[in-house]
Amino acid sequence: MRRLHNLKPGTKAIVLDIVGNSTLAKKLLGMGLTKGVELKVVRNAPLKDPMEIEVRGYSLSLRKAEAENVIVEVREK
Amino acid sequence: MDFVSELAVARYEKIGEIVGKCVERVEKPKTFSDIIDTVVTDKYVGIPIFLALMWAVFQFAYSVSAPFSDAIDVFFSWCGDIASGIENSYVASFLSDGFFGGWGFVLVFLPPIAFVFIALTILEQTGYLPRAAFVVDRAMTKVGLQGKSFIPMLLGFGCNIPAIMATRTMEDDVDRKITIMVNPLMSCSARLPVYVLFAGVFFKEVAGAVVTSMYLLGILLAAIMATLFRKFIFGGKPSPLLMELPPYETPTLRSVLMNAWGKTLIFLKKAATILFIGAIIMWFLTTHPWDATNGGELIENSYASMIGHAVEPIVKPFGLDWTAGVALVGGFMAKEIVVGTLGMIYGVGEEGVADVIPQHFTPASALALMAITLIYVPCLATIGILRQELGSWKWTAFVVAYELVLAYVVAGIIYGIAVGLGVA
Repeated sequence: MRRLHNLKPGTKAIVLDIVGNSTLAKKLLGMGLTKGVELKVVRNAPLKDPMEIEVRGYSLSLRKAEAENVIVEVREK
Repeated sequence: MDFVSELAVARYEKIGEIVGKCVERVEKPKTFSDIIDTVVTDKYVGIPIFLALMWAVFQFAYSVSAPFSDAIDVFFSWCGDIASGIENSYVASFLSDGFFGGWGFVLVFLPPIAFVFIALTILEQTGYLPRAAFVVDRAMTKVGLQGKSFIPMLLGFGCNIPAIMATRTMEDDVDRKITIMVNPLMSCSARLPVYVLFAGVFFKEVAGAVVTSMYLLGILLAAIMATLFRKFIFGGKPSPLLMELPPYETPTLRSVLMNAWGKTLIFLKKAATILFIGAIIMWFLTTHPWDATNGGELIENSYASMIGHAVEPIVKPFGLDWTAGVALVGGFMAKEIVVGTLGMIYGVGEEGVADVIPQHFTPASALALMAITLIYVPCLATIGILRQELGSWKWTAFVVAYELVLAYVVAGIIYGIAVGLGVA
């Protein structure tokens, strides 16, 4: 089981589940991080946190602490 | 939770269905936006580029707007000069120092506010604003703030009024409130003349280091207070930084000007009234009782001076006397007035102050006064803008109260250390 915050830039993955705090989960879902959606890690910020991912055709930034709640399955590196 | 999840999935399925019917996606080549992003968020050059852009914003907001503020100032001084020629000296004083002085005091803030919002709108519309938050977020979350707090905090070094208005780019209410509440600790340019005077007189060779340390003290206190407010008042972490990094666009002149004009109008409609009334009250306090001040000429006999005298026992432990008290009361109008007020009390004018302050201050008490000037209360105009942006007198009063207590504690500590080290 991998979590989004551990993925390196360039990695593509599928969202399996969103866990943790429900307010945050709602926000993540609202931004399109639903089960089964494909995402790609684009880069980390210069200070390593937050990270930028590409999902549903747009770029989304989120902190590592928030990405930790996204359970993913890696597709390709 | 599961229901929420299902709902989100269903919603996005529907969206996907509609999008699938009307949008054709092609595997896109590296776009212009991507190329800019690889540079501005780069591990090595990302932060230098960010700092360079922030410097440019700061210069634009304050240096470029300064001639406009100067022109407004000159215009109202001119009106005041004409009004002061009126036969009845009471009416003359009210019109020149109260009415025109008050409007001049309010309206000089218009250019920096307009320029700040021109710069912010350009950053927002080009798409760099969220990137700036993305680049600096990590550092800001360490001190109880978040990426979007950076620009308002930086702008505070120029003037806290446009800086506090700049928090309008923040969506989260708690994050915004904390950023507003600690903003007055960022040492604005009005406090510099006070530091320069006292550091120059008492710490000749190391004056530069002393002035710099006042700025650093402000930053440190802002970091500490933001962390404390977050922890004990609002309880919790910064709001999630879930934001879209949109493709870069060219801003349109029309929307940039519209937005800047809109924000300036908000200031005029809301804060300007509070500021003007405050200016009239300050005119009254520094010129009355009318006979005792000889028609507003002798500030040492005014109500403001009485308040200053009343403050003396409080600041006495730091080696400060009533003259400092009166100067601080005057400085409430605008902090640079501290210097001018001292000049008036000692009867030497602003130019002669440096020669006489060694008679009233020691190096240690000078440090205490500098720290108090940095912290004690937000100036009158800042209080007006705090009320406007916090939306309540209760929170505004809280900011004033915590700053007074903090000023007292910090000045005490600094004075104690200075005396202990034999600086006095």
